[in-house]
Amino acid sequence: MKNKKLIGFLAVLVVFIIVSFIKDNHVQKKRITENEIPTIGVLQFVSHPALDDIYKGLVDELEKQGFKDGKTAKIVFQNGQADQSKLTSMSQHLLNEKSDVLVGIATPAAQALANQTTEVPIVLGAISDPKSAGLVRDNQKPGGNITGVSDQSPVKAQLDLVKEILPGKKKMGILYSSAEDNSAYQVEKITKEAKKIQFEVKSYAVPSTNEIAQMMQVMAKEVDFVYLPTDNTMANAMQTIVDIANTNKLPIIPSVDSMVEQGGLATVGINQYDLGTQTGKMVASILKKESEPKDTPIYIFETGDTIINQKQADFLGINIPKSILEKATIKGVSKK
Amino acid sequence: MIISTIGQGFLWAILGLGIFLTFRVLNFPDLTTEGSFPLGGAVCVTAITNGVSPILATLIGVLAGMLAGLATGLLFTKGKIPIILSGILVMSGLNSVMLFVMKSPNLSLLNQSKIFDLLNFLNLPPDYDKIIVGLIILILVVGGIIIFLNTDLGQAYIATGDNEKMAKSLGIQTDRMKILGLMISNGIIALSGALIAQSEGYADINKGIGVIVIGLASIILGELLFGELTLFERLIAIVLGSVIYQLLILVVIQLKLDTTYLKIYSSVILAVCLIAPQFKLKKGGR
Repeated sequence: MKNKKLIGFLAVLVVFIIVSFIKDNHVQKKRITENEIPTIGVLQFVSHPALDDIYKGLVDELEKQGFKDGKTAKIVFQNGQADQSKLTSMSQHLLNEKSDVLVGIATPAAQALANQTTEVPIVLGAISDPKSAGLVRDNQKPGGNITGVSDQSPVKAQLDLVKEILPGKKKMGILYSSAEDNSAYQVEKITKEAKKIQFEVKSYAVPSTNEIAQMMQVMAKEVDFVYLPTDNTMANAMQTIVDIANTNKLPIIPSVDSMVEQGGLATVGINQYDLGTQTGKMVASILKKESEPKDTPIYIFETGDTIINQKQADFLGINIPKSILEKATIKGVSKK
Repeated sequence: MIISTIGQGFLWAILGLGIFLTFRVLNFPDLTTEGSFPLGGAVCVTAITNGVSPILATLIGVLAGMLAGLATGLLFTKGKIPIILSGILVMSGLNSVMLFVMKSPNLSLLNQSKIFDLLNFLNLPPDYDKIIVGLIILILVVGGIIIFLNTDLGQAYIATGDNEKMAKSLGIQTDRMKILGLMISNGIIALSGALIAQSEGYADINKGIGVIVIGLASIILGELLFGELTLFERLIAIVLGSVIYQLLILVVIQLKLDTTYLKIYSSVILAVCLIAPQFKLKKGGR
């Protein structure tokens, strides 16, 4: 090699690696976090209304618990903007800032953090099933440095709502996409819950949006109402589903609030802001040394906001009990 | 912190070396990269979670990448589809292949053994495992490329990239050379994907988005900083370019600039590097 710049650079790099190796070997075991105020490192996977709301809820709750950013605590926030190649560097940065607790919002962010440390506590925000994401050994007893909040929809509350607003309708059809991993998991879970209260459950899988129209025609003859899990394919094709359901006067119970607005009848959904608040509570409790991740179960919401589409209820001729209307958020204005 | 970044630079450098073989030697903009990179990770992680040893799993990942390169090569040479389009077709098709392999869009390696764990017995401080494994593999890849390019076959490969008509008249089967190049290149890219997936602890079908930028960045930074070089020096320059690029990203993060807009920072860094040589030329009066 004759290029002097190249050799020079190479030499600097090698010397640096060797020197810091010797240094790191020395101080390796001595790493203590000595902050005057606690530091909370947050890694969010991407900006998107739902995830942003979680972060807002987290910051507000921490402030309520006595950890105000810039005063009684330091919140370091990193946003990966869906670029997975940067998540490792960002996790490293958060660790370097001597975070006392780390928060990962959405699965890839949580995985990046989990891969960097087995010591600093990590709280998960919005991961459907931490166990199948390989983040914890068991959702009930995590066992490591990770715990958090799941964004699974409150299935039981949803079914209770169905019982109240659709009395006597027991034949439930679940329409979902066979290409989405999260859907299969939800279908299994809701089927189990529904059978407990003697619902008849039939599931209908479609490979893509193109088959939904035909499938809905079949379903209209076989079921009393349609349940839609949190499923991107279904969310995208909501208009098709609503059109055919309406011609057949078939009520739709989606699992997400936005799908109620688009023509579903009603649901119980988790408010993303509440998800953030719950995450904030867990972080605060760890900071106050009241709990440890290893024996804090993953929090799964059992209830949420009731959302009713009044226009759709009128169209289907369904009378929603007053007791429900009072506590519910009403979408869609009645034509009457 | 800096050590970890250098380690990452080494692992990403392998990607740069893979891209170099098509982008610079053959003058191909091969977009298969954005598919073969996560494919290597997907196949490797799936194999590990099924109990295959990390080294073998990494090799299976490489093989998968070579098959992806073969597909692009066949579409391009036999199917007469333009190279950009061939690459895009294979890249988007691979999305389904990865879903089929992993059975989910994201697969974690937590509590599974990784190739870096092979060094556990050395009791290294954190992140040095990546440096050592990265170095060993870089030596193998750089050595492999140099040996290959110095064989008769490799010379024919270079000739194909330099002047296809001339190469053909010399009796070189240029189509075969192109397929071979795409296979080797995508195999190396998949190797990088497999290593990065193991270093970050998971595989994800969307991991390929934007990686071509990182690969090109290491090539371009290397060329900009070190100028005219022999083949061996060029390969080393790519490795250094990759380390420097990762360090630059680290600086941006450390400066506490709003990381929401990180992508424009990396675009600006790259654009500046691409423009810089022109100013140099004017100054030197060449």
